[in-house]
Amino acid sequence: MPHELILLKNMSQPGYTGSLADYERAGGYQAIRKVLGKMPPGDVTDLVKRSGLRGRGGAGFPTGVKWSFIPKDHPGPRYLCCNADESEPGTFKDRQLMERDPHQMIEGMIIASYAIGVRIAYIYIRGEFVMGAKILERALAEAYKAGYLGENILGTGFAVDIYVHRGAGAYICGEETALLESLEGKRGLPRTKPPFPATNGLFNKPTVVNNVETLANLPYIVNRGVEWFMAIGNPPKSTGTRVFCLSGHIKRPGNYEVPMGITFREMIYDIAGGMRGDKPLKAFIPGGASASFFTSQHLDVKMDFESVAQAGSMLGSGGVTVMEEGTCMVWAAENLLHFFNHESCGKCTPCREGSSWLLQILRRIEHGKGKMEDLGTLARLCPNIAGRTVCAFGDAEIAPILSTLQYFRDEYETHVREQRCPFRRAPAPDLIAVGHG
Amino acid sequence: MADMVNILVDGTPIAVEKGTLVIEAARRLGIMIPHFCYHPKIKPDANCRMCLVEVEKMPKLQTSCSTLVAEGMAVRTNTAVVEEAHKSVLEFILANHPLDCPICDQGGRCDLQDFSHRYTPTKSDFLDVKRVFQKEYFSPLIDKEMNRCVQCLRCVRYCDEVIDAKALAPIGRGSRTEISHFTSHQLDCEFCGGCVQICPVGAFTNRLSDYEFRPWMMKRADTVCGYCGDGCTITLQSREDELIEVISSFEKGRNSGDLCARGYFGYQFVNHPDRLTMPLVRQPDGRFEPTTWEDVLPLLAERFTQVKLAYGSEAVGGLITSRGTNEDLYVFQKFMRLAIGSNHLDSAARFGHVNAVEAMRRVQGTNRWTVSYEDIVNADCLLLIGTQITWTNPIAGLKVKEAVKKHGAKLLTIEAMQPSIETTSNIANLSTTHLTVEVGRHPAAVHGLLKAVFDEGVADNHLAATASGYVDRTRAAVSALPYPEGMDEATLRTIARTFAGSRRGVILIGQDLLQSPGGYEASVNLMDLLLLLGKLSEKGWGLAPLTEENNEQGAIEMGATADYFPGAASLDDAAARTRIASAWKESPPVGAGMRMLDMLEAARSGKLKAMLIVGENPARTLPASAKPAEALGRLEFLVVQELFLTETAKLAHVVLPASSYAEKSGSFTNSEGCVQKVRAGLEPLGGSRPDWEILSAVSVLMGYPLEYGDAAEILKEIRAVIPGYRVLGATPEPARVDRPAMDRYVGGGFAEDMASRYRATSNITQDSSYPWSLWVGQSLFHSGKLSTMAKGLLEIQKEGRLYMNPADLQRMQLAEGEMVTLTSVAGEARVPVGALGRIPRGILFFPESFKEAIAGLLTMTPDAVTGVPYHKQQRVAVHKT
Repeated sequence: MPHELILLKNMSQPGYTGSLADYERAGGYQAIRKVLGKMPPGDVTDLVKRSGLRGRGGAGFPTGVKWSFIPKDHPGPRYLCCNADESEPGTFKDRQLMERDPHQMIEGMIIASYAIGVRIAYIYIRGEFVMGAKILERALAEAYKAGYLGENILGTGFAVDIYVHRGAGAYICGEETALLESLEGKRGLPRTKPPFPATNGLFNKPTVVNNVETLANLPYIVNRGVEWFMAIGNPPKSTGTRVFCLSGHIKRPGNYEVPMGITFREMIYDIAGGMRGDKPLKAFIPGGASASFFTSQHLDVKMDFESVAQAGSMLGSGGVTVMEEGTCMVWAAENLLHFFNHESCGKCTPCREGSSWLLQILRRIEHGKGKMEDLGTLARLCPNIAGRTVCAFGDAEIAPILSTLQYFRDEYETHVREQRCPFRRAPAPDLIAVGHG
Repeated sequence: MADMVNILVDGTPIAVEKGTLVIEAARRLGIMIPHFCYHPKIKPDANCRMCLVEVEKMPKLQTSCSTLVAEGMAVRTNTAVVEEAHKSVLEFILANHPLDCPICDQGGRCDLQDFSHRYTPTKSDFLDVKRVFQKEYFSPLIDKEMNRCVQCLRCVRYCDEVIDAKALAPIGRGSRTEISHFTSHQLDCEFCGGCVQICPVGAFTNRLSDYEFRPWMMKRADTVCGYCGDGCTITLQSREDELIEVISSFEKGRNSGDLCARGYFGYQFVNHPDRLTMPLVRQPDGRFEPTTWEDVLPLLAERFTQVKLAYGSEAVGGLITSRGTNEDLYVFQKFMRLAIGSNHLDSAARFGHVNAVEAMRRVQGTNRWTVSYEDIVNADCLLLIGTQITWTNPIAGLKVKEAVKKHGAKLLTIEAMQPSIETTSNIANLSTTHLTVEVGRHPAAVHGLLKAVFDEGVADNHLAATASGYVDRTRAAVSALPYPEGMDEATLRTIARTFAGSRRGVILIGQDLLQSPGGYEASVNLMDLLLLLGKLSEKGWGLAPLTEENNEQGAIEMGATADYFPGAASLDDAAARTRIASAWKESPPVGAGMRMLDMLEAARSGKLKAMLIVGENPARTLPASAKPAEALGRLEFLVVQELFLTETAKLAHVVLPASSYAEKSGSFTNSEGCVQKVRAGLEPLGGSRPDWEILSAVSVLMGYPLEYGDAAEILKEIRAVIPGYRVLGATPEPARVDRPAMDRYVGGGFAEDMASRYRATSNITQDSSYPWSLWVGQSLFHSGKLSTMAKGLLEIQKEGRLYMNPADLQRMQLAEGEMVTLTSVAGEARVPVGALGRIPRGILFFPESFKEAIAGLLTMTPDAVTGVPYHKQQRVAVHKT
């Protein structure tokens, strides 16, 4: 299916290095010339609002609306943070966007800063992205040298500085308030909301946190207009493209940029080349580890915010993990809970205690020590976590369990009845030492 | 009136101030919403999720500890959904909880136990392995049992937000989150006990009382701490007349449940095996022989009477600690004045607090603060001069911290210690503007401040118009002075400008100022500062001198000093004399009283023949160079009432066992003038008796019966004799500035010592033979004479070290703990060294509770006006040997 690449276009050109010169040659840094000093900041926010652009980090909140929550007359500084803490299992698009075409996102940050009235912006990048951080530092240096950053940008009088801050290795710091805590030099734990970052964000100042991919879209919306952007995808609720990250038992894993609204079937079979060894598809995660599992019956669901939500999951971060027939769903859930238990920050009780308890039950079932009552306990505990935690992590950690229980309950029962994993995988090593001892 | 918001809690309407949390609104209706992480002292963190409630029109349950009330809000705390949520959170917490309640000291007063009892079934679905933390050694005083922890982080947040020590932190993540400390080996902190007290479960417990008790088996008595002048309400918990622990309940007392190391861990001197339990009488061979009260009381009466008959009443003197109750102090001075017939009496308030009281009496006509702790908390600017507040008066320090950290007050500090980051709090770290000033030079800094008031043009215009003589002459005197050498003029001017420009300001002064030369004059000059700014009589403004001992204010007000009758009235105040004579049915003696140093001098010269010393230890407190022991040794008859056989007691002819504050009833008056009830938690140890009882018994035998049935009867008399003791309890009305007295001062009284008060102080002495400035002061863990008998405090600090800046230590190539020799004009001493970042370079600090080690070094100068013996600084040389 032919479709125009937007965010991945430059980097798909042979020989494109992501340098400032390459980016400018490809038409880069033209958008800020149209915006800075030419458009009132409010009009830029309005433009983004009208484009229907929604956050690409997971929650899909309308970007322009988020900006408009910043109090207009607030004295003192306000901040923009680029959330580059991409840590969702099965998601690897931001990394590519940053490493291969950093200026696209930097230009987006300048536009956003101008619209919100930001003097200092931060890129909070996942700690493990050492190379990405270096590339960004280099790109920022180029942009400063070229006069796109710092004082009096392009002679317009507008000024913004961007700093790169590397995280220290916690998944939770991708949650925007934990990110802000971490950026302030504190332990990365989510904050109780309200108040929201728009009024009490970084250093208690009004703050916008936007994802890498979200920001990278901005120069194109400015350059090519709202109408052009609105025509892509599945308007009015899901406009533009998404960079989906395909992984799992498929022939061609990787990042694919497509207009929102194509079906999972098209994505998996036409674009990503179909299943590895042409085995039947058993299940897939449609939007990162925090999204509920789908099964083969969901292949014709459209890949846009509303359709996926309607079908009972979420488009999330755009990470699609595909599992073939023969994959143990209890093991899959255990594997994910291993991750969530390891990453639960421990701030609030239901998530902290729930994740370790759920993991222990799943591990017992998978290792042939389950009891039938365990299934009831799983189903009972999950709703006690959902909606009762400080942040969305609690909702995320129960998604794999509830969805696998919903679609593959028989597999759980077989595990318990036969006191073994019917898929006869080699026993998994005890990955988690619960506690210190 | 604050904006009120109307809400419904479980159908009951209530109006609360805007900004109130739902959990607090419910509490006012008597509805307790269960919670672990919430505590009114600290910011909501909403982490335990125990306090979930239903709020109409909100889809999800809300944490009532972080939700603010809104007009028309309807809250439900007892629906099936809410109960289910409580159950579920408890189920999660209990999954990993060890349920070791039978051996947990929190058992019986544990929130988790209580809530479990209320909400959860007896059976758990948790079939897996409980999380186990490796037990690790935490500290000698605090035990940490992480398996019991509910990760509510109250301890961490309290340590940061309230204490400002930041000694604790969570480490690890998720269910492996563990409370730890920043130091590498064991906890190094202020040991305020706050983490133990605020822990809702048994994760932190007091090691001094580990496994000693079940809470319900203990006898409780609410009383007031006997260490510093802050006047903290504490609860003595005892079993079979042994003091097991000291706790303090939230919202109780002037301290609202906060304590310090001395208050929380310093109680074990009470049951110390060395306590005196029987009267001792010196035998001809010099030995002490234990005896009975029946035998010793007639002996005392007889000997005192003999001395009186032979040499006259003027030959007898008395000295009392200001740690006693008001009742002890009152009966002591009455005993001296009537039974003995002498005004030669003094108390430990002479060591410095009299400087402040004399200044206050002179300028504002009161002998008390005109402000309260509430005024400190509500001030928008606080000026601290020579307080060392966290070490000397930790809870008053918390009021300062609250004003700064919670309400954003500006903090101006002129202190001997510099800002530095450590795991104990340092008030200078919170300063808006700080000036480090060597002890002894605070009076010079005060000169600089007054000069800055004029140079900045912030003096009150109204006063300049109405009292031009006062303002002009002060301006002239101050302008003639240079800014003090070594003090930054811009900083002094900033402090003066900031203080003058504030809405409500309080000046706090403490030991470093009051116990150093110039302490009296600097106190008067600070009142000049308040006058010149036009603030002295304004509401919320005032001078707040902090007292070292728990009842120094009471000692002065009871008349237990040479200068004052009860009510801090001058001996020549005819009205007071008449009032007292009518209450006593006998006139108090005429003639000036000798102060502490005068009495020692008189003892040395043979003029004084007998002394009654109650709880004081001049043989140790005063420097060896002043030869106090020699003077006392010349007395024909020395009686000492004490808890322990002190250096002074060893010189006595008769030693009487006294009861500690934990064993008696009465009242203490704290720094701010708040008179609070002291209640006995224990029976008097052995044969010990409260001081007043002993004196009362002797007086009867001497024919001057001062008979009282109990302490309450004494208080009744006190209240009749002393104005200001009618209002008792924890909420005193602060004293008001006495207008006529202030007008007298401004109208001419100021002039009598103008020249000496605004005399240029000597500059920094550069003595190459003694290049270091040694300063002896109170430390956080020890004060006075009892803390070194408290096992807990000795665990934290067991010896005196000579503290110096780490850079100095390095320059001298010394390691911590290494011995050095100190020399001064008076003598020499050998002590181990320690490093402390807050000590400025070139300065040495030695904790006075261990000062026997350096007693030989110090010299003494008395204050010309108030007779305060200054002996806390010395130029010394340090030799590495």
